[in-house]
Amino acid sequence: MLIDSAIKARKSLGPGERRLSRLLLFAEDIIKVPLFRCQRCGECILSSTAFICSQNCPKRMRNGPCGGTGESGSCEVFPDRKCVWYRIYVRSRRLHRVRLLFQRNRPHNWNLEATSAWLNVLRKRTEPPRWFLWNEKERLRASGPDDTE
Amino acid sequence: MVLMTLNEKINSDRFIVCGELRPPQSCNGDLVRDQARHFKGFVDALNTTDNQTATVRMSSIASAAILLEEGIEPIIQMTCRDRNRLAMQSDLLGAAALGVHNVLCLTGDHQSIGDQPEARGVFDLDSIQLIAAVATMNRGFLLSGKEMKKAPSFLIGGGANPFGEPFEMRLIRLEKKIAAGARFIQTQPVFNLSVFTRWMERVVDMGLDRRAAILAGVMAVRSAKTLQWMKARVPGTRIQDEHIVRLDHARDPEREGVSMAVETIQALRSIKGVRGIHIMPTMWESITPTIIREAGLPVTQ
Repeated sequence: MLIDSAIKARKSLGPGERRLSRLLLFAEDIIKVPLFRCQRCGECILSSTAFICSQNCPKRMRNGPCGGTGESGSCEVFPDRKCVWYRIYVRSRRLHRVRLLFQRNRPHNWNLEATSAWLNVLRKRTEPPRWFLWNEKERLRASGPDDTE
Repeated sequence: MVLMTLNEKINSDRFIVCGELRPPQSCNGDLVRDQARHFKGFVDALNTTDNQTATVRMSSIASAAILLEEGIEPIIQMTCRDRNRLAMQSDLLGAAALGVHNVLCLTGDHQSIGDQPEARGVFDLDSIQLIAAVATMNRGFLLSGKEMKKAPSFLIGGGANPFGEPFEMRLIRLEKKIAAGARFIQTQPVFNLSVFTRWMERVVDMGLDRRAAILAGVMAVRSAKTLQWMKARVPGTRIQDEHIVRLDHARDPEREGVSMAVETIQALRSIKGVRGIHIMPTMWESITPTIIREAGLPVTQ
């Protein structure tokens, strides 16, 4: 359970890993920064946020929008922009991935900022991404409570 | 009469009335006491805000300690803007030691809308993670995994904005908050009853009203100017122009403000799933007794 993972000691990068992480991060940045405006948090949740980087939120929300979104889904801090989570929800619906928004993301490990998220997954420092919803049943559930409307 | 705590009231089927107190922008504790007296006997518990709209005010926990002296049960609000997880845990331990047992976990307004926009925002946790953290503490553990000799027993609350877009995402977040351990939910002030009713129907459909007590926000204002200020400056509030016009054109705006609040309360009481209300008299604390009496709500003491 996620609450339990919060009370487990969280590993950080070992001294021998820094160089490997930098190397992988270089490759990762080339792909993720231009494509997803990746903020390099090191704990990638892109797969559950319909491939929009939630860390572009001024409050760095990892679990959905704050209460300040405007009437048309505008950001509290930059009213001329759409809330990142508004865009995530709209695209999640289109991609039938709404179900993934129900999963709770644990507190961010700030030690992993600007480290390779791929390496962190391989070394089991973060949870693996969920790229695909495998079967039809799961896909239907993922379409969320609202698609019947 | 044996006094019930908010926790017990939530477990019973009573209609719950919460208030909200603004700590002063100074160290004058008497201002807290003065405000508190308007609520005493009329509310089940009183929120103390935590640097609301990102402006510096007396700490919510200190204000709550004053409320305890006054014999009012406090609900401390805790935002993620000003503290990291270490400070939040230590503040919560301190609050529990002082006898505060209710905490409303909020993400908090962004510092850029406040009066010191150059400040660094923390946002180490978000409100859902904070709720989960308090739940972990209730089970006797700090976030480090260290077991405490004495565990706090907080009644955890969360906020909800039924009027934010997208509508469905709001429900997802509500579900996550309740799953993380929130036992009561206080909503943004309700002005648009039709949207709120639609939201509440979905909440009941999802069975969330049985897992947490939904307390609907009611705002009482004395002038159209206050409403306009709220609309422009306070994120997350949805105030329709018709309310501003109604107050603006009223011969006696204060009277109109009271009847607006009373009408809202009466409408809310008939909505299925609403377990109580959360009154926010913005800069008008003294009106609380009048509103409670006119709305026909039971006076607690």
